[in-house]
Amino acid sequence: MSLIKQLWIAIALVMTVAFGGSMIVSILSARHYLEQQLQVKNIDNATALALSLSQLPKDPVMVELQVAAQFDAGHYRFIRITSPKGVTLVERIGVSKLEGAPEWFVKLFPIHTTPGQAQVQDNWIQYGTLTLASQEIYAYKSLWDGTVELLLWFLLGAAITGVVGTLAMRIITRPLGQVVDQAQAIAERRFLTIAEPRTPELRSVARAMNDMVGRLKAMFTEEATRLEALRQKVNRDAVTGLSSRDYFLSHLREALQGDQFGTSGTLVMVRLPDLNELNARLGRQQADALLKDVGTALYESGNGRIGQRAGRVKGAEFAIVCPTFATATEAARDIHERLIQNVLPKWSDRVPDLFHLSAVRYQREQNMGELLSRADETLARAASQGPNTWQAVEDDQAKAALPAEQWRTLLTEAVDGGRLALSFFQVVSGDGNSPLHREGMLRLQTDDKGTLMTAGEFMPMAAQLNLTAPIDLGVVKLAIEHLRTSSGDIAVNLSAETIADHAFRHELTQLLKAYPEVCKRLLFEVPEYGVFRQFDAFRELAGQLKQLGCRVGIEYFGQRFADSSKLADLGLDYIKVHPSYIRGIATNEGNQEFLKGLCNMAHALGITVVALGVENKTDLPLLAALGFDGATGPGIR
Amino acid sequence: MQKLSAERLSAALPRPGLGAYALLLIFGLWLVYAASLAEPNLDKTQSLAMQRYGERAAQTIAAWRQLIEETRALPDNDKVNKVNTFFNRRIQFKSDMEVYHVEDYWATPLEFMGNGAGDCEDFAISKYMTLQMLGITNEHLRLVYVRYKVGNTAPIAHMVLGYYPQPTEEPLILDNLISSVRPASMRSDLTPVFSFNAEGLWVGGAATSSADPTARLSQWRNVLARMREEGL
Repeated sequence: MSLIKQLWIAIALVMTVAFGGSMIVSILSARHYLEQQLQVKNIDNATALALSLSQLPKDPVMVELQVAAQFDAGHYRFIRITSPKGVTLVERIGVSKLEGAPEWFVKLFPIHTTPGQAQVQDNWIQYGTLTLASQEIYAYKSLWDGTVELLLWFLLGAAITGVVGTLAMRIITRPLGQVVDQAQAIAERRFLTIAEPRTPELRSVARAMNDMVGRLKAMFTEEATRLEALRQKVNRDAVTGLSSRDYFLSHLREALQGDQFGTSGTLVMVRLPDLNELNARLGRQQADALLKDVGTALYESGNGRIGQRAGRVKGAEFAIVCPTFATATEAARDIHERLIQNVLPKWSDRVPDLFHLSAVRYQREQNMGELLSRADETLARAASQGPNTWQAVEDDQAKAALPAEQWRTLLTEAVDGGRLALSFFQVVSGDGNSPLHREGMLRLQTDDKGTLMTAGEFMPMAAQLNLTAPIDLGVVKLAIEHLRTSSGDIAVNLSAETIADHAFRHELTQLLKAYPEVCKRLLFEVPEYGVFRQFDAFRELAGQLKQLGCRVGIEYFGQRFADSSKLADLGLDYIKVHPSYIRGIATNEGNQEFLKGLCNMAHALGITVVALGVENKTDLPLLAALGFDGATGPGIR
Repeated sequence: MQKLSAERLSAALPRPGLGAYALLLIFGLWLVYAASLAEPNLDKTQSLAMQRYGERAAQTIAAWRQLIEETRALPDNDKVNKVNTFFNRRIQFKSDMEVYHVEDYWATPLEFMGNGAGDCEDFAISKYMTLQMLGITNEHLRLVYVRYKVGNTAPIAHMVLGYYPQPTEEPLILDNLISSVRPASMRSDLTPVFSFNAEGLWVGGAATSSADPTARLSQWRNVLARMREEGL
């Protein structure tokens, strides 16, 4: 039994004993008082009547009248005169029924009085003994009324005590509640710190737990820093800070094959003069500085563009994958302009022919080698145009982009007309033997023939048109439908844009409250960039969803690793690690070490780790050995 | 004088024979029985008299106890005469103002005998109590308020004890103003006003205990309650 309940029972017990005891005492003392009064009245009235009878001539009619007058005017149960021989001379008995007090009460608290007696004299001769008893009904009534009144006071007192007690209890136990919440949070591996309560006993407990949480957080931060350094070392080019060749190519492959981005995009290549030549012209140090400047400019071009990533693919050759530009020309122009403005002015005197730039479109499922060689060819054409020029090649087969208004109509109709669908992909346990859950990927049926559009294709537009909230709600509704008709758990994605939307969060929780039985089987995941863009909103949403019994995770995890120690107090259930770390893991020892550390840290926080983009089942034993709890990807499907 | 009379009384007792011993045994058993009923504790009364009023009072109580024992076996009429004589002779008549310095005071037998003086109701009460202890029941006894008038003198308020050999008959009057017990018809100087006894007062048990504050409010119940405390 909880401490608070026990305190309450103790209070109630003490109150009942105190009030009940005082009530019984006061009933008994009232009854005693009434008995005394009745007794005195009996004796006095008997004496008074006997005295007046003694003075009278003993004419039977006179005696009868005297007694009758006393009886009728007074409050008596009976008046009787018996002769010395025991013969009843006069008798009056009142018939009255109990009024004003319930029968059981009279039985419980009977009023005992003895009749009053006095002697009636006829000159020297004994005339008889007069006995009378007063009516007790009014005494019962007054005792009962007093008891009822006392009971009402008792109830009022109990109510006031209850209110005051509740308030006092709330004040007393508030710090206790905080400490308990913290302990529960820690048990769920959410590492919270709380303000130290004023109560000394609780303060030391809270301080100890805060210290422990602080040390754990410091440990996590340290580990995260170490892993981040490792990740950078493995996946970054040391000179420019851009992605290394391997990591860039892995990312490019994800753009071509994965579900995260649209079906088409642009690959931009930037080529500086040959590295050896640069070294010869500028010296090694200056050449590195130039490479760094270019790298910075290219890196900055990706700011605010989801999925855009630059990498150093060869000595003085850079590539940028741009999923968000609508045409190759736009992408080429944007990046060309940045280089001309930010880099060229500083270096044009020493390296006037600083770069060439090419941009080509790509389609989903395109061969990567073919794409790279096409970019190379285009680059050659750019080079033929002169220094610092660009060349872009558009894709003839590309679908003409729809104007925004048509998108709006399409998406609104899709949501309203039920043209959203989920296609499911299995997530299996680390050893690949048992299913963990299915991930429901959003699809949009664009026409009657059943052509399906992936989320990557229409969600960016939905975000621009502010339509992600109804779409995400639609997804959750679909998932609930599936959960109700099939077994197993289902994970759904929430857009980065919707998590900060209060109206959406409210609707979502209302919807989930209507189906409490499926909440335990429903998993929500938010892309990493969405989590860190609106961290507080995500923290709130995660808290709400977890309260409903849902699980919450982060997908495409690993790009913002430096911030990951923030996750310690979220109570996250799982993370899905970005595919760019998983592809080619068998040969990448650096990433193996990084992922192993990542898994260890996640497990310390009670977080399950799932690998995304697994291309081959043969990778599973290695992933399991690194600590992955689950895996999904083309190799699994 | 009183000491002497006590000695004379004990000397006048016949020497007990065997039958007397048997009688005494039966009488003792009866005493135990009676004690279990009314439980008068005369030893307590006597020691209280010693404490409060001194040697003389204790002797009076002793003589009174002897009287009780001597008269117990006698017929009721003799009991009445002996008790009347005992108090009339031994106790002086004095007003309450003289003895207790109050207008009106009803004394218990202990106070009465302890002080060796009292007024009319004190005589009547002590005689009443003594006769009761001798086994005469309430129906035969009445304390009577009377108007006393002799010749042309002004009438005075007075109290006597009436003994009714039969409840329906004329009573014998025990009066402290005259030495002998006489039937009521011979007492033309007395006019009865009201009579009472303790009947009905002892029935309720707790309701009439001396701790009951109402018991102290009436002179009569008050004196009865105090008597109980004094072991009667």
